Amino acid sequence: MSGRLAGRTAVITGATKGIGEAAARLFVREGAAVVATGRDEAAGRALESELTKAGGKARFVQHDVRSEGGWAGVISAAEAFGPLDILVNNAGVFLVKPLAETTEADLDLVWQINVEGAFLGVKHAFGAFARHRRAGAVVNVSSLMGQVGYPGAVAYCASKGAITGFTKAVAIDGAAMSPKVRVNSLHPGVIWTPMITSQFGDDLALAEAFAADTPLRMIGRPEYVADAILFLASDDSSYMTGAELTVDGGRGAD
Amino acid sequence: MGELAGRCAVVTGGSRGIGRAVAQALAAAGARVVITGRNAATGAGAVTSITDAGGAAQFVPADQANPADWPGVIAAAEGGEEGFDILVLNAGVSGAGPIGKTTLGMFRHVCDLNLKGAFIGLQNGVAAMRRRGQGGSVVLVASIVGKIGVADHAAYSASKGGLRLMAKAAALELGPEHIRVNSLHPGLIRTDMTAGFDEPSMAALAPLGRFGEASEVAAAALFLASDRARFVTGTELVVDGGWIAR
Repeated sequence: MSGRLAGRTAVITGATKGIGEAAARLFVREGAAVVATGRDEAAGRALESELTKAGGKARFVQHDVRSEGGWAGVISAAEAFGPLDILVNNAGVFLVKPLAETTEADLDLVWQINVEGAFLGVKHAFGAFARHRRAGAVVNVSSLMGQVGYPGAVAYCASKGAITGFTKAVAIDGAAMSPKVRVNSLHPGVIWTPMITSQFGDDLALAEAFAADTPLRMIGRPEYVADAILFLASDDSSYMTGAELTVDGGRGAD
Repeated sequence: MGELAGRCAVVTGGSRGIGRAVAQALAAAGARVVITGRNAATGAGAVTSITDAGGAAQFVPADQANPADWPGVIAAAEGGEEGFDILVLNAGVSGAGPIGKTTLGMFRHVCDLNLKGAFIGLQNGVAAMRRRGQGGSVVLVASIVGKIGVADHAAYSASKGGLRLMAKAAALELGPEHIRVNSLHPGLIRTDMTAGFDEPSMAALAPLGRFGEASEVAAAALFLASDRARFVTGTELVVDGGWIAR
């Protein structure tokens, strides 16, 4: 099968909707075997069925990224296709809440899913890369809010900023492996997905307001981010590690 | 059919090194490429490397920093059926030396070619993209030395750091017209410019443990130029083997 990821095996977390789902579709189209994970079993099964019926290699594994025990099952599901080559740490939760109202439980939830989930993913993927001596690639989906602040997004910005720094640290660890493993972070701006609409409402007028506030005057679509994830996961970025790729229509440029 | 079929790209400083690899990558993706440079012999070699591979390219002798040379470049870009919507401003010179020994003339030489030249190219290229009215993508080839400080590189750092922020300012200004502008920041890449460098000792500066290939920078430039980056503007893409991550 041809494609930028022909013969590769990938795990994509949080792939039942939004950016992760778009990445799973694109990766399969580019020839990868994909294990799509998430908590929403119905959506995951539907995605798996659609992709496999179209001739792709895909499997849904129900998994909460916070569960370390579950990670072994995710990796072995991937290895049923072949040695793991790519991990996309995409699962995450969004929270906009004023500082004074943000509870310790809020902070813990955001931190555990966004940061500890990515940490566990890298830890288990690095183990798999080492076992099979694969020159793996990891893409950590951070956010524009991991580079700049956003009003009322204290917990979320803290978690995504952590991913930015975490990525650079594990990029250096990955470069010390043999063969070398690349790790980069991806920083989407406002992308019209359930993560945004569940917080702000799925409202056309709001989408248009975000577009008007974006230099490219467009609303972000999950497919735009999926293309950038593919770039970082593929050999197109073979000399990149520890780097940040921002996909935000220019919001972060000012 | 390549992802850039029907498009025309201009690559300045495209006869050698990173520029040549970028021209080759854009042509391999289906674009017709106009290569500019100051050396007709190396320019002809770059064109042949593309046409031999079945691509479309022509060389226009031009100095990126000379406004008088640009009308000819733009005329070549607009002279075919393809739409001119990709501009890679890659031409540049290196320049090292301690501040005390850098004359104002040397400082100007580096900044005029690298930064002022890119501004002149941006101005001319964007004017053509605006006439066509269908957006475009501009890639400014800077350096990691436009992101971090390097001793004995005051002039070069100033020119490359200038490119980084000029790209952001242009991205904000041109975004409403769907003209995307990004900067690309290579680290140590194996080219004529780094031919005299001690690669075995310097390669360790990058965690990936080697110099990059020009083709690896070209793949990043192609990404930024293509529709795969249609929501990417005003950002910095670092291709340095991890150098500045630590």
